[in-house]
Amino acid sequence: MLVATDLVKRYGTIQALDGFSLNVAAGEIVGLVGHNGAGKSTFVEIVSYLIRPDGGHVTIDGRPPSATRGEVGVAPQHIALYPSATVREHLELYGRLAGLRRAALREAVEDMSTMLRLGGIMDRRAGKLSGGQQRRTQAASALVHRPALLLLDEPTAGADLETRQAMLDVVKQRAGEGAAVVYTTHYLPELTELQATIAVARGGRVIARGTCEELLKDLPGEVRVTLADREEVSVSTSEPTVTLIDLLRRIDRPISAVDVRNPSLDDLYRSLAVHDAP
Amino acid sequence: MLLDSAPRDSTRPAGAPARTSRLLDAAYRIGALARHNATLRLRDPGQMISYIVMPMVLMLVLKPLYVRAVDGGAAQVATGLMVMFSVFAISLVGNSILSERTWRTWDRLRVSRAPAPELLVGKTLPLFVVMVVQQTVLLVYGCLAIGLPVPPNPVYVLLAIMVWAFALLAIGALLATVVRSHGELSVISDVGALTLSSLGGALVPLSIMPEWAQLAAHVSPGYWALSMMQAAVRGDAAGAVPSALVLLAIGLVAGAFAARRLARGWGRGGPM
Repeated sequence: MLVATDLVKRYGTIQALDGFSLNVAAGEIVGLVGHNGAGKSTFVEIVSYLIRPDGGHVTIDGRPPSATRGEVGVAPQHIALYPSATVREHLELYGRLAGLRRAALREAVEDMSTMLRLGGIMDRRAGKLSGGQQRRTQAASALVHRPALLLLDEPTAGADLETRQAMLDVVKQRAGEGAAVVYTTHYLPELTELQATIAVARGGRVIARGTCEELLKDLPGEVRVTLADREEVSVSTSEPTVTLIDLLRRIDRPISAVDVRNPSLDDLYRSLAVHDAP
Repeated sequence: MLLDSAPRDSTRPAGAPARTSRLLDAAYRIGALARHNATLRLRDPGQMISYIVMPMVLMLVLKPLYVRAVDGGAAQVATGLMVMFSVFAISLVGNSILSERTWRTWDRLRVSRAPAPELLVGKTLPLFVVMVVQQTVLLVYGCLAIGLPVPPNPVYVLLAIMVWAFALLAIGALLATVVRSHGELSVISDVGALTLSSLGGALVPLSIMPEWAQLAAHVSPGYWALSMMQAAVRGDAAGAVPSALVLLAIGLVAGAFAARRLARGWGRGGPM
């Protein structure tokens, strides 16, 4: 569905993308993670045809982004709503711009209202909504025409639990229906819930890609042993079980607690921070 | 390339020629944008109302002065203030377009199927109507309350109003794409409107202005608008055409510049 190869984008002296490649198949959710400035948003803007790359190629369903305008659902990182327009008016506008009419439009708007739990606020103006409600409205207006490629740039940033859950549910549903999804986020547990393939971006390129298990297998976990006198022994290890057995064998004092922690996506993220540090 | 279950348009006749179909789709999108922008505009009518009421009051107050000062004083005060306050309405256009950048909504529209010209037309169509209504109301008021002679051919007047509204719209769009903030736009449109319309003879009749000012007036769109409007009110089509052509040229150049800037996402980091 989405094939991006060796994308390069430079803003003055800043190299935003430096050989960024990413493929996303129909029905696949790719969680694009990385620190600020890693190139995630620039990638989304290129695929949306908002900016043109200096080098490399993008195709969507075999066509360039210029030929797929309006066929991609984009929810940008920042809230982009008309303060004095209601939620319903937003959905109707973007639905109409995608070509939906009459009954089809009404049906699509009602669907989004139900899926993103907007029922009680459909006739409220966007400027009067809470942050979470605005997030849901923005996502709904990106999804209302049922695009086959979704680009969701930190769609849950600053969102409450209800918003986050509603968003994850609708993304899972759309992917289940065959949509390809690029989902950038800093909230890594979301990607576990979405069962997403994870692509790690750093320095303007994707440096790793795989399932959660594949990416974590080389990261160290942690074994922590708390002694009766409250002293703690903590060891970072790629083989927590073996290390724990070894520790228990060597410690000859009373032990009050043992904690074995396998590597998580947060550890992956932290390891990136270490790599990014000057 | 939408999901299979997407509800699609079922109203279009099968086998309709592709070109007609594309035109209908474009018209539908422009209609959607125009409707949306008209709704937003009607929710915030204060500025529109003030640009209609203020010149009405001023016409009434200044009429005796103009009638005593120049021949055809009633026509001068009505058309002059109409032109001046229609220039002020440039800020309506500018703010309306600039807000799309403030709200970050312009990029969302650019991601849609509507190309830049459709976005611009859909955005400005309601404002065009606002300007036509403003000028029409002021001229009708001029006839009813100020003593402006009833135009022998209202069609000329309507055409003149539309040409002037188009030029103003294009200038407003251009301003919106070069300024950096609403404050900057406000300063440029207010000072510019006052200067250009005064220089064009909208406030003080050109005949009593110094010779250098009469020459300099030609650089002001207000001058051409006033000439065109006064000729149209007299029913002098031949007199209105040269000014109309100048205004159309200004409008086309400004509009093309604005459309190009808007298509590039104006102010974004990268060109499109």
